[in-house]
Amino acid sequence: MRLGGDDMVVGVKDTAKLIGISIISCCAVLVCTMFLNFNMDIVSIKEDIVSEQVMIFYDAQVSTAKVVSIVSGGCLLVTSLIMLIFYIKHYIGTHKKELGILKALGYSNFKIAKNFWVFGINVFIGTIIGFCGAFLLMPYFYKLQNEDNILPSISVNFHPILLLCLVVIPTVAFSIFAIFYACYKLKKPVLMLLKDNLQMSTGVHKIKSERNTDSLFIDDLKRSVLKSKKTLVFFIVFSSFCFSAMTQMSASMKDLSSVMMGAMMMMIGLVLACTTLFLAITTVINGNAKTIAMMRVFGYSQKECCKSILGGYRPLAYIGFAIGTVYQYVLLRLMVDIVFKDIEGVPVYKFDFPVMLISLAVFIIFYEIVMYVYSEKIKNISIKEIMLENKY
Amino acid sequence: MIEVKELTKFYGSGENRFQVLKNISLKIEDGDFAVVLGASGSGKSTLLNVISGLERPDSGEIIYDKSNISTLSDNSLVEFRRENIGFIFQQYYLLPNMDVDKNVKMGADLSSNKDYKAIIEAVGLENKLHKYPSELSGGEQQRVSIARALAKRPKVLFLDEPTGALDEQTGRQILDYISKLQNECGFTIIMVTHNLNIAEMANTVIKMNSGKVSEIYTNSTQKTAYEIGW
Repeated sequence: MRLGGDDMVVGVKDTAKLIGISIISCCAVLVCTMFLNFNMDIVSIKEDIVSEQVMIFYDAQVSTAKVVSIVSGGCLLVTSLIMLIFYIKHYIGTHKKELGILKALGYSNFKIAKNFWVFGINVFIGTIIGFCGAFLLMPYFYKLQNEDNILPSISVNFHPILLLCLVVIPTVAFSIFAIFYACYKLKKPVLMLLKDNLQMSTGVHKIKSERNTDSLFIDDLKRSVLKSKKTLVFFIVFSSFCFSAMTQMSASMKDLSSVMMGAMMMMIGLVLACTTLFLAITTVINGNAKTIAMMRVFGYSQKECCKSILGGYRPLAYIGFAIGTVYQYVLLRLMVDIVFKDIEGVPVYKFDFPVMLISLAVFIIFYEIVMYVYSEKIKNISIKEIMLENKY
Repeated sequence: MIEVKELTKFYGSGENRFQVLKNISLKIEDGDFAVVLGASGSGKSTLLNVISGLERPDSGEIIYDKSNISTLSDNSLVEFRRENIGFIFQQYYLLPNMDVDKNVKMGADLSSNKDYKAIIEAVGLENKLHKYPSELSGGEQQRVSIARALAKRPKVLFLDEPTGALDEQTGRQILDYISKLQNECGFTIIMVTHNLNIAEMANTVIKMNSGKVSEIYTNSTQKTAYEIGW
């Protein structure tokens, strides 16, 4: 089924490309639902607490839930939003001609843009899976949170307000946002939309030749690719950040919390890292397919094409890893030193250098495998298809 | 010399399989200006793509100075194009986010050509060095693509309908530039066109029809771009 204009702009199948948003929404809602639901349920036992020590533990649990929900939920919400903005922008960029034709035929910006609501479906799918998944995990989670039975028994309750806030509102908000953002992006003259992508450079970062420089074309192209889509830089950094922070934190969780928390963090970190990295690299390759094809026509090797198109992202990935390492250390330090400071038996937290090294080694292997896979994709870009696509 | 022997090429598969090139054999001497003439769908662009190593033939040989490129590996074919071939297309295919200088540098770097700015001057774009493709007219963009192709100092220059997207005056100007640069540099030109009059500029004309070479002839005198009809 295709929707829009009244039959040709955005299709439900296009939402499949936004699987990243579904995955991130799912992770965000999974974490937030568990902790917020726990927070709401724990309130019911507050009156039963008589000991001061237990009350400190209670307060620490409430604070932890709040911090985790705000940090994880907020972080992932912003990422989903950036991903949505990026995808709509990218979608409009790659479907300029069709959208231009519709505008030329007299369709208003809003009439075309209103079909972008379908992207809210991705948020709905992700949030509902995350919400339901959280309820499946909740009995185990509650048990782990109160493993030593310090608090009275806490039962899992369903809170409709959470369904509203974590599923319904985000879905509606993302749909509305998608419509208005698409409407804003469509405010371009028809001719600008109709002109061919290769000939139009609007919105593309232009690299001006610096006089008296001897830089190689490949290095210039690397810089240009890097600067042309800054959102992708964010995704690459975010991807390595997630990998670094979550894998290292999950290792520390074994001592500070539980194996389950560690496994959950590890899983979320890897899913987020993979999703964003694949999304970013796929977009880089697709966005530069014509450039790669021309480079290969002229005799640039696969290695040179990879270096110029993907090479610029490598240092950023390692910067992201470093930020992730610092972030997880600071966050855990804060948790241990401030949130759990009055609780007895909390182990001393120290920076785990061996874990960092293992995480870095795994990340390097993971990143280089992804780069290798994509360099093979570059090899398979058909020069003929690119030419035919441009000819007709 | 380029020698093509019994070249065949098929597209599609199963019931949709059809033959685009049918046992084509021809020879092009070094320094020739060869034009491949034919109607749309005659297979002329496919022939150009196969001879230049952009596509592989299903059978037959393409021999450049005793070296058969149809048996080369993908990497060797890229290397071959790097060292020998230049391309100019109807759609220019310039890099939109690179200015004129950088676009030409794309070709120049492949042959470590540090004097590529002389070629930009030769095509009359020295004042547009820092302009982007979107800021240039169609003719200027095609001149950039000529400069880019020549900056890599090719032995053979392939042109696929280089004037197809240009008006008559600009088209003549472009052909004039190409012809002049060939006289100066001595490279071989193989140009695909459906314009009969452009063939009068060539010394070898290869006429194609339904995937076959229907006629090959040589012009005793070559006309300039400004002498031909359009």
